Amino acid sequence: MSGWAGAWQGATDMDLRVSVQKRFGTFTIDTNFNVEGERIGLFGPSGSGKSTLVGLIAGLYHPDSGAVFLDDAEIFNSEKRVNVPVEHRRIGMVFQRPHLFPHLSVRGNLLYGYRRCEHKDRKIKLDSLVEVLQIGHLLHRGVRNLSGGEKQRVAIGRAVLSNPRLLVMDEPLSALDDSLKFQIIPFLKGACETFNIPYLFISHSLTEMRIMTDKVLRVVEGRVASQMSLEQLARAYMGESKAGYINLLKLRSLDRLGNLYVYDWGGQRLFISGGSDLPEAFFELPSTDIILFKRHPEAISARNLLQCRVTDIFETGHRLGVELECSGQRLVAEVVRQAVEELGITKENEVYAAIKATAFRRLG
Amino acid sequence: MKKITIKLFLCVFFFVLLTGSAISAELNLSVAASMRDAVTELSDNFAKKNPGVSFQKNFGSSGALAKQIESGAPCDIFLSANLKWMDYLKEKKLVDARYTTTFAYNEVVFVGKPELKISKLQDVVKLEKIAIGSPKSVPAGDYAEKAIKKAGIDKQLENKLVMAKDVRECLMYADRGEVDGAFVYKTDALLAKNVKTLFTVPQDLYPRVTYPAGLTADGSKKNEAVAFYKYLQSDEAKKILVKHGFAVK
Amino acid sequence: MFGFTHTDYLAMLLSVRVAVVATLLSLPFGFAVAYLMTYRKFRGKVILDVIVNLPLTLPPVVIGYLLLLLLGQQGFIGKMVLQPLGIKLIFTWKAAVVATAVVGFPLMVRSIRTGMETIDVRLIQASRTLGAGWFDTIATVIAPLAMRGIIAGSVLMFARGLGEFGATIIVAGNIPGVTQTIPLAIYDYVNTPRGDAMALSLCVVSISISVAMLIFHEWLGRRMARSD
Repeated sequence: MSGWAGAWQGATDMDLRVSVQKRFGTFTIDTNFNVEGERIGLFGPSGSGKSTLVGLIAGLYHPDSGAVFLDDAEIFNSEKRVNVPVEHRRIGMVFQRPHLFPHLSVRGNLLYGYRRCEHKDRKIKLDSLVEVLQIGHLLHRGVRNLSGGEKQRVAIGRAVLSNPRLLVMDEPLSALDDSLKFQIIPFLKGACETFNIPYLFISHSLTEMRIMTDKVLRVVEGRVASQMSLEQLARAYMGESKAGYINLLKLRSLDRLGNLYVYDWGGQRLFISGGSDLPEAFFELPSTDIILFKRHPEAISARNLLQCRVTDIFETGHRLGVELECSGQRLVAEVVRQAVEELGITKENEVYAAIKATAFRRLG
Repeated sequence: MKKITIKLFLCVFFFVLLTGSAISAELNLSVAASMRDAVTELSDNFAKKNPGVSFQKNFGSSGALAKQIESGAPCDIFLSANLKWMDYLKEKKLVDARYTTTFAYNEVVFVGKPELKISKLQDVVKLEKIAIGSPKSVPAGDYAEKAIKKAGIDKQLENKLVMAKDVRECLMYADRGEVDGAFVYKTDALLAKNVKTLFTVPQDLYPRVTYPAGLTADGSKKNEAVAFYKYLQSDEAKKILVKHGFAVK
Repeated sequence: MFGFTHTDYLAMLLSVRVAVVATLLSLPFGFAVAYLMTYRKFRGKVILDVIVNLPLTLPPVVIGYLLLLLLGQQGFIGKMVLQPLGIKLIFTWKAAVVATAVVGFPLMVRSIRTGMETIDVRLIQASRTLGAGWFDTIATVIAPLAMRGIIAGSVLMFARGLGEFGATIIVAGNIPGVTQTIPLAIYDYVNTPRGDAMALSLCVVSISISVAMLIFHEWLGRRMARSD
């Protein structure tokens, strides 16, 4: 048992194979899936069973039947009566609320899991973690008077410092307001990437998913219904939601010209009216706000005019999306079928995409 | 619904009140615990001969009973196991001095398991636990304590004495085997099942066990009480007392 | 001050000793039972709950008598366990401790349970996922956070123990210097004419100890609230 717990793999890729069944009164979890990767999301509506499912994987709940494999180690098997206790599974958890130990200081909280980690597994140390999360100045304080963001950072630190094999984050950003959310995201991603910890990220927010994960498991009524890349999920959503496909851009701040902010997007410049002075920010750009031109429009009010190449045209639920490639960056524009036919837009066409400075919505 | 309930309540209330005074004469007796069986027989006999008279008997240690009477407990006749508590009430004018008399005597013995090698008072220091009536309020305990002190073994018996609330409780502790032995009256020892009298405490070590009977101030006004008081001194009563093991002279 | 005899002082000392020992003895068991009732599911949980709370509803003399039957010479535990080991409980101060412990046990358990139930279950889940086994979690998370309940339970039990009479007098008897606690001493005086002054004096002592206890409990509660 402890022999398995010590098996640290250098690579961060994680291999999870789950087949579990459990009845909770009227609600049932019955699912069977395999997934591999570093940054995996669990996506689904409230009540679909995401939290319960990860609870079963972490060992907080006991499945009625089934088996769970994590990196070739069997942590649960009802037939063979294998059940590695929670404390030996080394699956760290970050919840929606920080749930810090009120009777311990920040330092005490952070080191709780670390102290219980075997010496040979203690790869992540307090000092480096504290630097990444920028909580060094809080170390000797009690936890009750910290701000919401500070508490959540400590909670993340506590879980990461326990040197887990896998980190499960159950809607860790849902309880935070928008600006706080997007402040925490870099810390979250930064900590996991710096220390090579694969994670399962649960959320009902598509945007959070697209930022945090590469691959997503869609959970519906107690089972994992499908597995897809984030791009596929976003496209599927295009057909399902009113807003259609939303482009998500991570931009680097360059300059400020009057009331316009200038951002760098993979070498190109974008002019955005609702920007900020922060060095980096996420922006949402609805696909419906992009206008395509077959020829270069000589004079146009839109501040952004990008030369692109059509890489794909796809349809989901009666909506047509045109995937564009602009100097190595990707963009999806939504157009009506008649426009595509009239303009004769096909793959490999060169088009111009016009975007107003006001079309971008800054996140956070 | 409310009206009916009130009417019902009043009916029951008055019924209880009236039935309370329906009996012609009820005598309240406060009796030393050691006299329990003897007085029960005496009062039954008296009641048979005097229909209309019933007894409310209250048994306990004489000290506790005296305290109760002092606090206003209803009592017509007080039968004490020593003179001290009778004198106490006489002093407080709660007992009518005209109607007090001694009507029985007793002896203090030591009971214990038959196999114990105890044959005299000094032997009891060998035992671990001995039951004794609480001397503050139980005459039997008071007598025993006096004997123990006079025999000079009181220091050795410290921490070995289990206080009982009356002499019958003493007997019960011994009979149940919870103590090795107990100081009780000769009359109580006769009732023991598992223990027997191992020795009689020498009379020179303590004052003679004397039972005074007295009519309280209330009792002296009741004819039936006076009648019972006189009955206790009759030959028939004496026969019954002797039968139970008491001495009458 | 009030003219207490040597025996009376012994009674006070004994009362405190019995109450303290009974409380200390009950703490580990009380904690264990409270833990089982709060965090574990098992068959017969309801029965355990009933048994634990029974002393709260029974007259103390009933409890005393049942203990006597169980632990006495003829009793089941008396015959099977105590006699072979040469242990005599009845009419010793140990019996007074047992009687006090039994009578106060439900108070201890209830207090600790309340303390435990206020602990967020997520904290316990967090502690487990961070590598703490169930015993580790109890020691480092549950016990510290339930401390209020533990202390409240102890104080309550101690106070109840000081006043224990019914069960004690049956199973430990009234032995001055050995088992005569304050309530038993008061009982003696109450039965004695002219004993009222002494009875009252002992009552004052009893009340003073209780008041001191309650003040201490309040102070402790405030102190714990401040350090939060």
